[in-house]
Amino acid sequence: MALPNQQTVDYPSFKLVIVGDGGTGKTTFVKRHLTGEFEKKYEPTIGVEVHPLDFFTNCGKIRFYCWDTAGQEKFGGLRDGYYIHGQCAIIMFDVTARLTYKNVPTWHRDLCRVCENIPIVLCGNKVDVKNRQVKAKQVTFHRKKNLQYYEISAKSNYNFEKPFLYLARKLAGDANLHFVESPALAPPEVHIDLAAQQQHEAELAAAASQPLPDDDDDAFE
Amino acid sequence: MDDVEKAILISFDESVTLDSGLKSQAVNFCQRIKETPSICSLCIEKLCFCKLVQVQFWCLQTLRDVISVKYGSMSLEEKNFIRKSVFSMACLERIDGKLCAVLESPTFIKNKLAQVLVILVYFEYPLIWSSVFVDFLPHLSKGAVLIDMFSRLLNALDDELISLDYPRTPEEVAVAGRVKDAMRQQCVAQIVRAWYDIVSMYRSSDPEVCTTVLDCMRRYISWIDIGLIVNDAFIPLLFELILLDGLSEQLRGAAAGCVLAVVSKRMDAQSKLTLLKSLQISRVFGLISDDNDSELVLKVAALITGYAVEVLECSKRLNSEDAKVVSMELLDEVLPTVFYVMQNCEMDAAFSIVQFLSGYVATMKTLSPLQEKQMLHISQILEVIRTQIRYDPMYRNNLDILDKIGMEEEDRMVEFRKDLFVLLRNVGRVAPEVTQIFITNSFASAIASSSDRNVEEVEAALSLLYALGESMTDEAMRAGTGLLSELVTNLLSTRFPCHSNRIVALVYLETITRYMKFVQENTQYIPLVLAAFHDERGIHHPNINVSRRASYLFMRVVKLLKSKLLLFIEMILQSLQDVVARFTSMNFASEDGAHIFEAIGLLIGMEDVPLEKQSDYLSSLLTPLCQQVEAMLMNAKILTPEEYPLKIANIQQIIVAINALSKGFSERLATASRPAIGHMFKQTLDVLLQILVVFPKVEPLRTKVLSFIHRMVDTLGASVFPYLPKALEQLLAESEPKEMVGFLLLLNQLICKFSTLVHDILEEVFPAIAGRIFSAIRRIADSSGPEANTEEIRELLELQKTLYTFLHVITTHDLSSVFLSPKSLGYLTSIMQLLLHTSCHHKDINTRKACVQIFIRLIKDWCARPYGEEKVPGFQSFMIETFATNCCLYSVLDKSFEFGDANTLILFGEIVLAQKVMYEKFGDDFLVHFVSKGFPSAHCPQNLVEQYCQKLKGSDIKALRSFYQLLIENLRLQQNGSLVFR
Repeated sequence: MALPNQQTVDYPSFKLVIVGDGGTGKTTFVKRHLTGEFEKKYEPTIGVEVHPLDFFTNCGKIRFYCWDTAGQEKFGGLRDGYYIHGQCAIIMFDVTARLTYKNVPTWHRDLCRVCENIPIVLCGNKVDVKNRQVKAKQVTFHRKKNLQYYEISAKSNYNFEKPFLYLARKLAGDANLHFVESPALAPPEVHIDLAAQQQHEAELAAAASQPLPDDDDDAFE
Repeated sequence: MDDVEKAILISFDESVTLDSGLKSQAVNFCQRIKETPSICSLCIEKLCFCKLVQVQFWCLQTLRDVISVKYGSMSLEEKNFIRKSVFSMACLERIDGKLCAVLESPTFIKNKLAQVLVILVYFEYPLIWSSVFVDFLPHLSKGAVLIDMFSRLLNALDDELISLDYPRTPEEVAVAGRVKDAMRQQCVAQIVRAWYDIVSMYRSSDPEVCTTVLDCMRRYISWIDIGLIVNDAFIPLLFELILLDGLSEQLRGAAAGCVLAVVSKRMDAQSKLTLLKSLQISRVFGLISDDNDSELVLKVAALITGYAVEVLECSKRLNSEDAKVVSMELLDEVLPTVFYVMQNCEMDAAFSIVQFLSGYVATMKTLSPLQEKQMLHISQILEVIRTQIRYDPMYRNNLDILDKIGMEEEDRMVEFRKDLFVLLRNVGRVAPEVTQIFITNSFASAIASSSDRNVEEVEAALSLLYALGESMTDEAMRAGTGLLSELVTNLLSTRFPCHSNRIVALVYLETITRYMKFVQENTQYIPLVLAAFHDERGIHHPNINVSRRASYLFMRVVKLLKSKLLLFIEMILQSLQDVVARFTSMNFASEDGAHIFEAIGLLIGMEDVPLEKQSDYLSSLLTPLCQQVEAMLMNAKILTPEEYPLKIANIQQIIVAINALSKGFSERLATASRPAIGHMFKQTLDVLLQILVVFPKVEPLRTKVLSFIHRMVDTLGASVFPYLPKALEQLLAESEPKEMVGFLLLLNQLICKFSTLVHDILEEVFPAIAGRIFSAIRRIADSSGPEANTEEIRELLELQKTLYTFLHVITTHDLSSVFLSPKSLGYLTSIMQLLLHTSCHHKDINTRKACVQIFIRLIKDWCARPYGEEKVPGFQSFMIETFATNCCLYSVLDKSFEFGDANTLILFGEIVLAQKVMYEKFGDDFLVHFVSKGFPSAHCPQNLVEQYCQKLKGSDIKALRSFYQLLIENLRLQQNGSLVFR
């Protein structure tokens, strides 16, 4: 979709909105992509950064314009105004801070009010941190709303590509689309404990077979 | 375009090329506008005249912000104006003669408008603006646009205020309650009526708007009067929609969603059951099965499973015979479709197959015998379990080579299967025969399945068989009841075409091991078992992961069948020759041979093996292994840095192998009945102890040798003594805290096994140990604060903890005299101070208890008075003046000493016992001091003091204990919680 005044490229590009509580690592996440980091333009007064991130798929190059809406104070700024014309989205929370997961439904609601029926990925970030507060099996929101969920660690690049791949597949309507070349990523700052992570993912898989709690609050008490 | 519009457009601008200075100017300008008093009328004006969506969005957002922040300070006129204007926009009415066309804008503008209406409802409904909903209703006749807007308003109301899916403040919850109550009273009936009329009227002409209406209605069903929906008009309409072929799938799905909301509504079980029965749900069964992927089928599937969950819930909650019958009937009716859905449809996320089926199986526990129908359901449940636990063939290769994807899939499945196997176990209890027949058949059909599915079929069937074994009692397994004996025989003699696959080979071995109790009673199958382990299904499997696991499982099998394998020893050794040769020749494999050697040791170490054979077997293994160690020790000096790590690793492997081998030889055999065997191990020990001399500082080797000494203590008994002084000296030299812990554990083993026999050895090493440890643990005290949480400090704390055990073991094995040897005496004060401090303050109650016990023991050992001499000068006064007051009084007075905690109570018992013992040994010396110095400092009333003396002198320790607890609790009360003397 060509946006008015959008700096255009001659390959498909999509507006991707990244939302989530402050401090969940949205900015760190998009900055892992080095070309995007290189080209991004900072808008300090508005507090939105648009990072153009390119990926190479078997069907050609695609670009995500990632709208990182960090640092929004309650009253000022455009807030959900930035979601207008969003074509896909990532909702980020921090697995080491419960409240950020508790607020995920609100982010989702605000997003859907402006962008009906767009593909959305839920990302639990910071899974490299040992002291998790939100366990994989407590993450059930995505199942209620039909979102995709990924555990990621922006600092270690763990699963960096997964959200983009999912969104690219949805937007292209091609479940077999894949990335043919890895984007240049900043070197990992931490190394994730793979064994522990596998444990979490096993939990996650197990959780998928569990019933949803009646009331989300149960998972937090 | 005026300045405001321009500024809004610029601040929304999505291009990345725009000058950021201009943009920030625009944003600041908009922000300033927002602060002006006339902002609301400006927004409304713009909304009426400007068609730019950015401007419209900004105006609505600003309106909402301003209302939510400044509502309290707005004038009545302004509020009236905003209310009237916004409502007019939503109803397509003119504002000052001008038609405001916001409803022609994209959906996100209409949603924003709905949000503005909801903030007004928040402040004004029902007190100020009571007519908002009823005023809207007449406009619905204007058509789809208005109906759509009305639905958006209700959806926004749900999202922003009512729905429980979002975190709400207590104030919001209160407002939501107020709004719901008012709506229930005032307009819900009218709204439902409108919904009904709209759907009836537009169902064929505008299915889209009907879908919108029903999706909106679904949100409200949980809190409105259910009678408005469950009646002769609405329910038939909903079912008609669901069932009407040719109607839009979305609309049919939305109708199903509403019925599901009705079914899920919370109400008392009896009314729920009546409701469920009245729905005649079987009407929709036919919709399943045609096309499994369609949205409609998924919605209907969710309805049917949701219905089944509710029926099951009713059957659990209701106890009357009638209700049970009805709920069982409904369940029987719906279950076949539920099973079909489980096997063929993508499941709704809210539905848990396992939980539902477990609930259903639980209802059967009370029914016996089971009816034919229930038997049928049981086999369908088993079928569901089998389908669910089966791997997808697409992962076959990943699972075989166990790459990252394979590992993920395997972990996922292991976890996923847990609950399913619990279900299987429950099914097996309710219907054991059906379960066994089912598993037998699965096994047979898996063998016969085609090659594109056989790996997964076989793996699933074997896993079921394994799970069956898990749930079986030992007696049942030994007896081989039912089909079991046939099943196990088949299993043992089967070789699957897919046996080379890792997951098949693994689960096969696990399963035959699981059924070993049966073989134990039916020894004719032993050759089959051995073959399975020794050929390429087991230890000789091409996949290293399989052969490793096979070695371990074989060892377990040998442990269990040991005595029955006597005749097979020769054959087993033959089969394992190549594996063993990898260790005994210089040809090392990277694997750990511990399990194979342990198995062999168990076999050849049996007393039933003739001595001559036994020595032959043993020496054929030990001699080459020892020779290799000797050769390596000899060449140690000329090792190049490249060779070094490999050689060290090789020696480690050899020690591990010998260690494992020796486990099969008992002390009785090696020392009493066949000393020649013991002699061979002593020779081995000689060789291995040389390692400490040649490689004194190689930590992994020291650890391995240490564990071999542990083993030899067990196998050689007291005849190991001559080796100990030298070995201990070398192990102690330059040992790190972590190694010290291991060293103390060896000493603990020696003391526990030999008690006073090790007195001399212990006396010899104790001063060195004490010196080393006390200088090391001083670093714990020196470090405090956040930097104290380092690996080094953790190791030291571990060492300190082991030291307490060590001291405890020494005193409880009549070895306290070791502390008094001339060389050790210098450490006595340090030991006493440490024990005292620990007994009063350590955070681990059990450690405190151990220290108190040590003191009790020392009093008994060292103070044989009143008749004897004082054996340890100063000890008695230390106990009376320091230990008694600090530990026996002050530490228990502290509020952190919780009488409610069981461990603490046991510690308390020891502390009381210590007083008793002190009185017995020190007599009035103790009592007078305690009563005259200790109690007064705690302001103890005289009558309690007297009672204490009485109880202490009495013979009833229990009475003393309960009295002392009473006394302490009393003193705590008097002090009002403040301890002045600590």
